[in-house]
Amino acid sequence: MSEPIIRVENVSFSYNPLAEKPVFALQDINLEVFSGDYLVIVGHNGSGKSTLAKHFNALLRPTKGDVWVNGMNTKDPKCVLPIRATVGMVFQIPDNQIVATVVEEDVAFGPANLGVPEQELRARVDWALKIVDMDAHRQRAPHLLSSGQKQRVAIAGAMALKPKVLVLDESTSMLDPAGREEVLSAVRTLNKEGTTIVAITHFMHEAVEGNRVIVMEAGRIVAQGSPCEVFSNVETLRALHLDVPQVTELAYELHKRDPSFPADLLTIDEVVQEIEGRLEQKEKGSEHSWARHYTSQ
Amino acid sequence: MENFEFLRNVTIGQYFQGDSIIHRLDPRAKITILLILVVVNSFILSFTGNVLLLSLCIALVLLSGISFRFMLSGIKPALPLIAIFALMQLFFYGDAYPPYGMEAVTYWRWGMMSITNGSIQLVIVTLMRFLEIFFLVSLLTSTTTTTNIAYAIESMLEPFQRLRVPAQEISLIGTIALRFVPIFAEQMEIIMKAQASRGADFGEGGVFQFVKRTRQMVTLIVPLFVDAFRRAEDLILAMDARCYTGGRGRTKIVRFHMARVDYLFIALTAVFGVLIMVFRNNFPV
Repeated sequence: MSEPIIRVENVSFSYNPLAEKPVFALQDINLEVFSGDYLVIVGHNGSGKSTLAKHFNALLRPTKGDVWVNGMNTKDPKCVLPIRATVGMVFQIPDNQIVATVVEEDVAFGPANLGVPEQELRARVDWALKIVDMDAHRQRAPHLLSSGQKQRVAIAGAMALKPKVLVLDESTSMLDPAGREEVLSAVRTLNKEGTTIVAITHFMHEAVEGNRVIVMEAGRIVAQGSPCEVFSNVETLRALHLDVPQVTELAYELHKRDPSFPADLLTIDEVVQEIEGRLEQKEKGSEHSWARHYTSQ
Repeated sequence: MENFEFLRNVTIGQYFQGDSIIHRLDPRAKITILLILVVVNSFILSFTGNVLLLSLCIALVLLSGISFRFMLSGIKPALPLIAIFALMQLFFYGDAYPPYGMEAVTYWRWGMMSITNGSIQLVIVTLMRFLEIFFLVSLLTSTTTTTNIAYAIESMLEPFQRLRVPAQEISLIGTIALRFVPIFAEQMEIIMKAQASRGADFGEGGVFQFVKRTRQMVTLIVPLFVDAFRRAEDLILAMDARCYTGGRGRTKIVRFHMARVDYLFIALTAVFGVLIMVFRNNFPV
C-alpha cells in the first residue's frame, strides 16, 4: 500500500498532562488514513473522537506519540501552517466558524491568510463555492442563510485552502434533515473527486457513507473495518450502547430467524432488493401449489 | 411578544436598498465626502454658509431617493435632548456669542438669563449644523451596507500600516463584530423568551425606573456573555484551522474600484468646501 496521508502512532493525549493524575482523552491510538479514504469515526460524547480529530491538523499536539500528516510531524512548529493547509476542518456549529459578513469573503479567508495573490484567490473562491453549490449566494450575508447552507459555506471555506483531507467534526449534528442531506451530498462529491474525508459523527446511519469505520470508546479504538464488518457485529455495538443503523438491525434480526438472509446489509436499497429477490423466487417456486390451493376450494 | 423581536429593530446603519447614484458611489468616496463636509460644517457659523451646506445635504438626500420621512424618523428619540440644548443656548449664551454680521441687540434680560440676537442666531445655526451632520451620516449608513463601510475603512487605513496602524486587524475585528450582531440579537431573543417562560418580567417598569430596568437586564447579559465567550472559543479554533496567523501578509478580494464618478463627486465636494471656507467671513449674514 502507498504511504498513508495521516499516520497516528501510539498517540495518547491528556488535557491536563501536568496534573497528579492526568486524565487521558486518548490512549494509545494507532491509525492510518489513506488518500481517497472516507473514514467515519463514531462514538459517544466524550469518547475522544473530537480530540482525535483535532490532532489531524495540529490544533492539538499529542502528549505521547506522534501524528504525521503527509510526512510532516504535527509537533514541528514550522509544519503547522502546511499541515493546516493539507487538512481542512469543518466544525459543529456553522455560525461560529464563519468570519466575514459576505459569503465569498468568508470563503476567501483561508487562502487570504496564506497570502494567495488576488487572481488565484478569486479562482479558488469560485471553485470552492461551485463544488458546494453555493455560487448563487456568494454576495449574501451569512446570517440570512439556512443552517445547511451555512455549513456548506464553511466547507467551501475549508476547501478553498485546497486541502488533501477534509475533517468534519460533527458537522451535521446541528442541522435539520434537509440541511444534513445537502452537506452529506456535498461531501460525497468531494470524496468522489479525490478528497480524503474524515467524518466524525454520532449518527450511525452516516457511518454507512464511508468506506472505513472506526468505533471509539473511552479514548480507545474498539472496533474498525468496513461498515459491513463493523455493523454486522450488532452484539458488540449494543454492548457499547451504540445504535446500529435501522436497516442493518432489521437485516440482523432476519438473519437470526433465517440464517440464509445476509446480516451485513447497510442500506435500505440493499434490504429491499434482497427481500424482493426472495419474494420473486418464492412466487415462482410456489405458483403451482398456490394454484392448487385455490382450485381445491 | 413584540418586544422580543430584536432582530428587526437592530438599526445599526439601517441600510435602505436602492440603485441611486449615491448608492452606487464607492464607499470610500462616500466616506471622503462625509469627512470633507463635516470639516466644513465645523467651521461655518453664518446663516448663509449653513443654508448653502444644508441645501447641498438636502440635494444629496434627494439624489439618493431616500424619503425624508425615513431620514427624519431617526431624529425623534433625540428631540427632547435637542429641545433642552436649544433652550439652554437661547437663555444662557446671550452674551457669550456676539452675532455674526449684525449689531448685537439684547431683547430680554433677567439675572443670568438673556435673549440676544446672538443667542437666537446660535440656536438656529446649531440646529442647522445638527441637521447637516445628521443627514450626512444617515445618508452614508442608509445607502451603504455596514460590510462595505468596514471595507472602506480598512482600505482607507491601509496607507497608515507603515506607521504601524494595524489596519487589517482593526477591520477584521470590526467585521467579526458586525458578523455577530445578528447572532447575538437572536441569542438575546432566545434567552429572553426562556427567562420569560420561567416567570421573568420584562418590559415592566416605566422609562424612568432605571434601576429596575437595569436589574432586569442582568439576567440577560450574564448568559449572553457566557454564550459570547463560548462562541469566541469556537471561532478561534476555526480561524486557527484556516491558517490565520495575524494580519501580516494577508491578501484580499478587491471588490471596489474608484470610478470617474467617484473622483468627480469628491472633486466637486472639495471645490464647494474650499470656496465656502475661503469666503466664510465674507458672507453678509
